[in-house]
Amino acid sequence: MLIAKHISKKFGVYQALENVSFEINKGDIVGFLGKNGAGKTTLMRILTTFLTASAGTVIIDGEDIGKHSLSVREKIGYLPEKPPLYSDMTVKSYLKFAAQIKGVSAKKESFQVAKVLDDCDLNRVEKQKIATLSKGYQQRVGIAQAIIHEPKLLILDEPTSGLDPIQILQVLALIKNQRDQRTVLLSTHTLNEIEQVAQRVLMMKSGKIVLDAPLNELLEKKQLAQSYPITLEQIFIEYHQETPPRPFVSASSVKG
Amino acid sequence: MNKTFAIVKKELHSYFSSPIAYIILIATLSLFNVFFFFIIDQNHEASLRDIFILMEFMFVFLIPLLTMRMFSEEKANGTMEFLLTSPLTLTMIVLGKYFSMLIFFTLLISMTATYYFILDYFGDPDPISILSGYVGIWLEGAFFIAIGLLVSSWTRNQIIAALVSYALIFSLYFAASFTKYFTGSVESFFMQSSTRTHLENFAVGIITPSNITYYLTGIILCLVLTRLSIDNRLWQ
Repeated sequence: MLIAKHISKKFGVYQALENVSFEINKGDIVGFLGKNGAGKTTLMRILTTFLTASAGTVIIDGEDIGKHSLSVREKIGYLPEKPPLYSDMTVKSYLKFAAQIKGVSAKKESFQVAKVLDDCDLNRVEKQKIATLSKGYQQRVGIAQAIIHEPKLLILDEPTSGLDPIQILQVLALIKNQRDQRTVLLSTHTLNEIEQVAQRVLMMKSGKIVLDAPLNELLEKKQLAQSYPITLEQIFIEYHQETPPRPFVSASSVKG
Repeated sequence: MNKTFAIVKKELHSYFSSPIAYIILIATLSLFNVFFFFIIDQNHEASLRDIFILMEFMFVFLIPLLTMRMFSEEKANGTMEFLLTSPLTLTMIVLGKYFSMLIFFTLLISMTATYYFILDYFGDPDPISILSGYVGIWLEGAFFIAIGLLVSSWTRNQIIAALVSYALIFSLYFAASFTKYFTGSVESFFMQSSTRTHLENFAVGIITPSNITYYLTGIILCLVLTRLSIDNRLWQ
């Protein structure tokens, strides 16, 4: 579904991405990890054609994004870190506008708007101005615009940031529901969210991919090697600290 | 074309969903009305020539206020990313924005058409020179809007967008005033680059190909530069 080959990106003298290569298979939900400034957002912006890479190629559904940018964008749904919303519009009029500019035919427009209102549980607020919605609802409107044209690839940049626990669960359930319909690349800082929804993990550090593995395999291998239960959080810390992490020992086992 | 139309509709909805559009329409038309009656009372002429000159001067101030938010706001709100990652060409985005403001501007000047009927009721105005004046003021507004759109594509700050637009539009408007300091080709350059030189012809009923070419070239140049500015993400 997505093949990125040797992607590099420079902003002046700052090397944001360096020789990044990876592949994502059709139907996968991939968790995208990395500290702030690791290059995740830059890479997502390149994948969505918002930025152009200084070097390298990206193939999405068989098409080079540099050569077929417009047709590739029809296949991508994108939710940036800050939901791109027009606060003076109502939810329904915004989604109609999104459908129109994303090439949904006039015949299917009403159906698609009704479908995403339903899928994202927005029916109750469809006539409300976006400015008056809670952050959780605004995030859902952001996801709704990303899926309104039934994209094959969904790219979500921190879709749960700033949400309360209930809203996070709702957004995660929404992402899980996409599993059968599209490929998802999900960036987040909350590692247990990745454990809940993703099948694979990509980790970036200083503009490079430092880990690319199926989640189950990764956790099992680490567990076998270290003979104690391990979480994705510990793996993340291991990759981001200079000295090796201390073994995890629970309070009860120390007492015993 | 449908996608361009969708952007036009969205922009017009945005202008009219806030009180700003109504305030601008009412304030501008009120000022025009006051000056219309002053000028007619002073000149005792069934002509809109001086009204067109006044409109031009007022649009120098008004249009940067209208255009300052066009791209700056999209960038500040993060919706530029939404537009640029949607299957839209840059031309669709630029034309959608431009046409929406042009429609708003056309609505504004079309409301002053009542002046002709007032003149026609009390006197014997020349409809050709009035029509020519409206063509001129419309082309001039269209040019100023294209300049404002270009400047708003350079920055995410609306105040900076307005100030730079003022600077550019003022320079074009006052270019003719610098001719007294120069001679020869430099004098001719300043004279020909000034919007006042070209509008004066329209205001007295003279439409020449060179005047139309001046405005159309300016508009197309600004729209092409706007497209390039967005393509190169100049504001980042």
